[in-house]
Amino acid sequence: MTSPSPSPVPCSDRPVVRPGPFLLAGVPDGPGLEAHRRRWGALPEANVLTAEDLALRCEAVALGGRGGARFPFATKLRTVAGARRRPAVVVNGSEGEPASAKDAALLRHVPHLVLDGAAAAARALGAREVHVVLPGDRPLVAATVREALAERHDHRLRWRTSTASPRFVAGQSRAVLELLAGRENLPVTAWAPDAVSGLDRRPTLLSNAETWAHVGALALAGAAAYSRFGSADEPGTTLLSLGVGTEPPHVHEVEHGAPLADLVPTALRGEPVLVGGFHGTWVPWETVARATVSPRHLTELGAPLGAGVMHLPTPGACPLELTVRIVGYLAAESAGRCGPCVNGLPALAEAVHGLALGRPGARTRVEQLVGLLPGRGACAHPDGTVRLVRSTMVALAAEVDAHEHGSCRRLRVAS
Amino acid sequence: MSARLRVDWPACRAAGLCHELLPQLVGLDEWGYPVITGPVDDDTLREARAAAKACPRMALRVVEDAQPAASRSATASPKRA
Repeated sequence: MTSPSPSPVPCSDRPVVRPGPFLLAGVPDGPGLEAHRRRWGALPEANVLTAEDLALRCEAVALGGRGGARFPFATKLRTVAGARRRPAVVVNGSEGEPASAKDAALLRHVPHLVLDGAAAAARALGAREVHVVLPGDRPLVAATVREALAERHDHRLRWRTSTASPRFVAGQSRAVLELLAGRENLPVTAWAPDAVSGLDRRPTLLSNAETWAHVGALALAGAAAYSRFGSADEPGTTLLSLGVGTEPPHVHEVEHGAPLADLVPTALRGEPVLVGGFHGTWVPWETVARATVSPRHLTELGAPLGAGVMHLPTPGACPLELTVRIVGYLAAESAGRCGPCVNGLPALAEAVHGLALGRPGARTRVEQLVGLLPGRGACAHPDGTVRLVRSTMVALAAEVDAHEHGSCRRLRVAS
Repeated sequence: MSARLRVDWPACRAAGLCHELLPQLVGLDEWGYPVITGPVDDDTLREARAAAKACPRMALRVVEDAQPAASRSATASPKRA
């Protein structure tokens, strides 16, 4: 399905990947299984690494899910392990957000680390199948994963692949479960957590590729090796997709506690940064300058790291103009099923466009809609879009004022 | 007991019966879709259940709030797993 408002940032199949200190250390070795085993060793058997052992390791490093919500992985794992029915395990590699490329980077360069995480959990839980959901709009990533799966011989474990629709909301966890159940790849209302009732109403451990890579590293190397990186409070690393304008994002693996500003190219220091992606928050430079790559700290600053996207407008371009294009794209990406989203997001996009045009009444309309839309959908697409618009009104207040008075002198280029 | 109204948003077609039957807890937005304005308490529980039963799309539920901690992940952002 072609969207009438294309993403201002094209979806990238070939992100620029910097070799990282830990998860991405194996990038120069290539994506093969032999190189992966040379670096990380063999995966422990289920009788050696039980579900509780794995949960303890995840807990020791406070591993939170890397799809955006940072929900404690150990809690999810224990919920699934404690259920009576045989669980399902799902690797969500769909990465529907165009500005994000970290799952693509992991699956292209170190696919076996991701697959080892899921294999370790599946074995420990007694699951017989692992579902791997591939991105519909990143064919090179999908091809690499298929090659990686063909190399593996996991005892008593079957891998099944599915391909997600190339759209923003297709990667939402319920949308993924719908896809696996043979229905349309769109979000539906969740009456119970996936870990309690997911695929075929079975307890389901569904996580995105980055989360599984962290689980893989913990299964292969242990919590002590993992904790050599990061800070005492937040051990380990996180993957960030750093994008400027319409260029393909660069993927960095960064230790928790590192200064956030170090990632920003010199020419763009001083400009606001979009933290957390299209569902994220505009953060003024003064805040970026004193922030660290700490999920906890960034949440306290009101700028959750989400799925790890940091985006900057092209040098000299107006960030409000970029926001107009993002909100227009997000409105067009509504699945079209929930009334408040299908009606409210186009209205919000129109109002934000009105802000940029300096239309009278646009500000009041934006404020009315951001109060009306959150919490009223099967997924959090309206909530995320509202988060972006709310932050625009605060962090880009000067730009909004300039547009209201017709005095913005910045470039109105592509983004 | 603590309970609240939940809407099955993809099922809702803005019939508006919930607002007719339970105006104290359900408003309507400019497109006719429900806006839940408060939790269900002992005084409103009966009416809330009746409103849920009356919905022609079965899109309104009264849910009790004693859910396991993992429930919070169920409303995670799209793309978020």
